[in-house]
Amino acid sequence: MSDELDRIRREMHAVLQQLGVRPDDSLQITRRTFIHRSLLFGAASVGQTFAWWPLLNTIDVAHAAEAPFKFAWISDTHLYEKSLNTRFVDKVVRAVQEVQAMDPPADFLIFGGDLAQLGKIEELELGVDLLKDLTIKKYYIPGEHDWYLDMGKKWGELFGQPNWTFDHKGVRFIGLDTVSRGPDYWTVKKMTPEERMGHMATLDGTVAGAWAGVGRDQLDWMQKILADWDKSKPIVIFSHNPLYEYYPPWNFWVRDWREVNEVLKPYTKVTNIHGHVHQVLYNEIGSMRSIGMLATSWPWPYAPEGVPKLTKPMIRADPGDHFDGVGWETVNVNAEDKVDVEYIMWGRKEVFVQSDPDSSLSQPEKLRPRMADNMWPY
Amino acid sequence: MTIRATVLGTLCRPSFVVAIAAVAVFVGPTSAHKEPHTPEQLKLYEDVLMEEVRKGDLLFHGDAATAKQMNVVLSTTGMACAMCHPMASDTHPQSYPKFQVETSKFATLRDMINWCIEKPNQGEKIEIDSEAMKALEAYITWSNSGSVLVPGKH
Repeated sequence: MSDELDRIRREMHAVLQQLGVRPDDSLQITRRTFIHRSLLFGAASVGQTFAWWPLLNTIDVAHAAEAPFKFAWISDTHLYEKSLNTRFVDKVVRAVQEVQAMDPPADFLIFGGDLAQLGKIEELELGVDLLKDLTIKKYYIPGEHDWYLDMGKKWGELFGQPNWTFDHKGVRFIGLDTVSRGPDYWTVKKMTPEERMGHMATLDGTVAGAWAGVGRDQLDWMQKILADWDKSKPIVIFSHNPLYEYYPPWNFWVRDWREVNEVLKPYTKVTNIHGHVHQVLYNEIGSMRSIGMLATSWPWPYAPEGVPKLTKPMIRADPGDHFDGVGWETVNVNAEDKVDVEYIMWGRKEVFVQSDPDSSLSQPEKLRPRMADNMWPY
Repeated sequence: MTIRATVLGTLCRPSFVVAIAAVAVFVGPTSAHKEPHTPEQLKLYEDVLMEEVRKGDLLFHGDAATAKQMNVVLSTTGMACAMCHPMASDTHPQSYPKFQVETSKFATLRDMINWCIEKPNQGEKIEIDSEAMKALEAYITWSNSGSVLVPGKH
């Protein structure tokens, strides 16, 4: 597996990381994990139900031509039915309360996919119910967990078109669907919808394959909606999966990143904000910068290989302490190009690793893919 | 594919048990180390391991049928081990035994497996030398094959 990943990575660097090509530094993006102080101090009694990770992310966008503004992001809530798991519900409730309490309010919310865990109607409807207390405008993109039980039927009924675009204060925003174009692994094996969903819902599964992709049709659509956009004006693209190759075995990529790059290459201020990875992540690919967002549900460890060199890793999880290091912190990931990536993570004084022992990456791993899901009758 | 083919051969349980019994009879403990190993023996040893890995893989990924069959409740939240540890990542079997921060005790991998079952997964901890524990340990260590042994590393 490593050799193949190395080959792809070398190709990606050769294609995308040409000498002198970087994202334009006149677009400033500040990212922080927003926790409302008043809620924080009142949270002790319900603290046991919350895990160790930040609940949501807010993003300040400053562009010279327009007034700065802020929007919020929540994703990867992975809701089960309430009767099975209340922890995840509690965290969504809290995230919603905190976004709602923002002052001044966020201009809008992006929900970055994986609202549900197993794509069930009850799970998706629970998500809608929990998010309805949030009165600002909400935009949704799908995650694979939302989609593969009924192939997006219920999601579509609830949220409409999975890809969309709008302009806001000088920025063109695009929501992409990177989940619905997975190759058909179920028909030949005569899988039930639940079996299909089960394979899709297993991050390290080997059956669903390289399901993450943008697709030619959607790339054409994106090219069309960008045709009238000034090449030097900012574009923010939301996707569930990162729009580059980080770790294909977990679909921490889109398989057609080359074509995505072809479409976006002429534009100098492109930022991709994505979910799926449940971790702090930062990368620059060609003229696009890419920021990975945190989940409300649980953190994922960094992949055993392929973590972008520009990522300053987040501190390793202490799964035993729900209130570990509560506080705010500002960290400049890359002050040089004026991208002030700032995480203020619930339950943490320091979001980024300070020394080797704070990092899960301090223990090099060699991992094998699982084997039992490829065996009969799985 | 090699792994798959090998383990598929063990799926027929009665013949697998008979094979083990046969080896036990013909190359039992008294002569186990007195004759050169045969390819058949080596294959059997591998098959025994991979059957445990297979069961551990299924338990680790929340397979309800396997959990029921082995009479364990590893989670009551819908969460499975693999949801925080895809490909058994971040389990670091190579770092045990070590001082475990979560319990403030010197711990083995099995102790930590039980901690995860009880705390994050809100399941029922399993006997330290049970079949399910052996299978989980087999899967986790197999999945981390090649990682460098660093006992005690935090």
